[in-house]
Amino acid sequence: MERLDLLLLAIEALDLHGSEAMLWSCEQLELQQAFPDRVALWKSRCRNPLRRASRRGEWTAAEQQGLIQLVCSLSQRLYPMLRQLLSSGEPDELSQQRWALFAERYNDLIGERMNLKRGAVRQLLDEKSGAQRRREVVQTLAFCAGGAGMQRLETSLMDGNK
Amino acid sequence: MNSFGGMALRYEQSSCRLELKGLPDVSAAPQGQNNPELLLAILTSWELNLGQRASLQGKREHLEALVETVLPYVNLMLSGAAQKQTSKTEAVVLGPRGRGHQLQLRSSQPNTPPLDLQLDDAELADLTQCLDQMLLDPRQGLRLEQPIAIAKKKRLPKPPSLQRWASPTAAVAAVALCGLFSLLLPLPRPTSPGSPQQTNQNNKP
Repeated sequence: MERLDLLLLAIEALDLHGSEAMLWSCEQLELQQAFPDRVALWKSRCRNPLRRASRRGEWTAAEQQGLIQLVCSLSQRLYPMLRQLLSSGEPDELSQQRWALFAERYNDLIGERMNLKRGAVRQLLDEKSGAQRRREVVQTLAFCAGGAGMQRLETSLMDGNK
Repeated sequence: MNSFGGMALRYEQSSCRLELKGLPDVSAAPQGQNNPELLLAILTSWELNLGQRASLQGKREHLEALVETVLPYVNLMLSGAAQKQTSKTEAVVLGPRGRGHQLQLRSSQPNTPPLDLQLDDAELADLTQCLDQMLLDPRQGLRLEQPIAIAKKKRLPKPPSLQRWASPTAAVAAVALCGLFSLLLPLPRPTSPGSPQQTNQNNKP
């Protein structure tokens, strides 16, 4: 639950119009049944226990599948940006600037929406461990981009290792 | 399709380009159709171009080895349990090295040293996308297996036995000490019911 919501948060940090893109993608992917409007999507994401205003309960199978589909579709759209962040061929200075910008937006979103009293959230904002977590999030988005990424992301979410 | 009836399928993703060359299985196509959709079912050769790094060529078994190594490795990496993957024929080996990934390709030609490539995350993602595109392509009828690797659930290391037993031992010792101290406390002496009256009588003037 936490991982999927954090992936969506990273998408929002990478794309300033990420939340609008999510709604647009819901329509494109015909996910209106699971997420008929903005509020339904927001409510679904609030099931993340790390959220400041967390809602109790589990996702339905349709909601979980829909969110996985949404993450994979949006990461395909953002793939060039993800690739730039992960590539070692980019100039160091430019790469550092890109990571710094992403870190700033991602941390702002975490500070705004997550419960800062939780240890897991503090770890995400930590200077040392936070950088590694952010890299893992970007890596996950890059490797689960596209249609075949869905199965990959689903498998990695189910094994409970992260 | 070329003039000899051969087919070529190409998949591209940034720094990676995969091209399959082969022949359609005409016998499998439904008869009586003027323009049946043919699938590339017999692979004659394939070529993988990793930008300016390397250009690889091979046969079906080499492509199978690449698929059965790269995709499970990526699955394990996403689960945070990246570990070296080797194909059944040991032609392809992929494992973590530093911040990147080491791809080793052993040629079937004699006296040819293995090719050792260092890929970063972006290049590995490109290669994965190319393989995904190929496996999902409806024009491809090679029936390649899609291997799925599931990471074993990580077990947290057991703390040392002293640390494990310290808390329960301290708790039992605390309860025992409390019991012992409560036994040492003097009990209030029972007073006989008549004695206060006697003292009252004695105090009368």
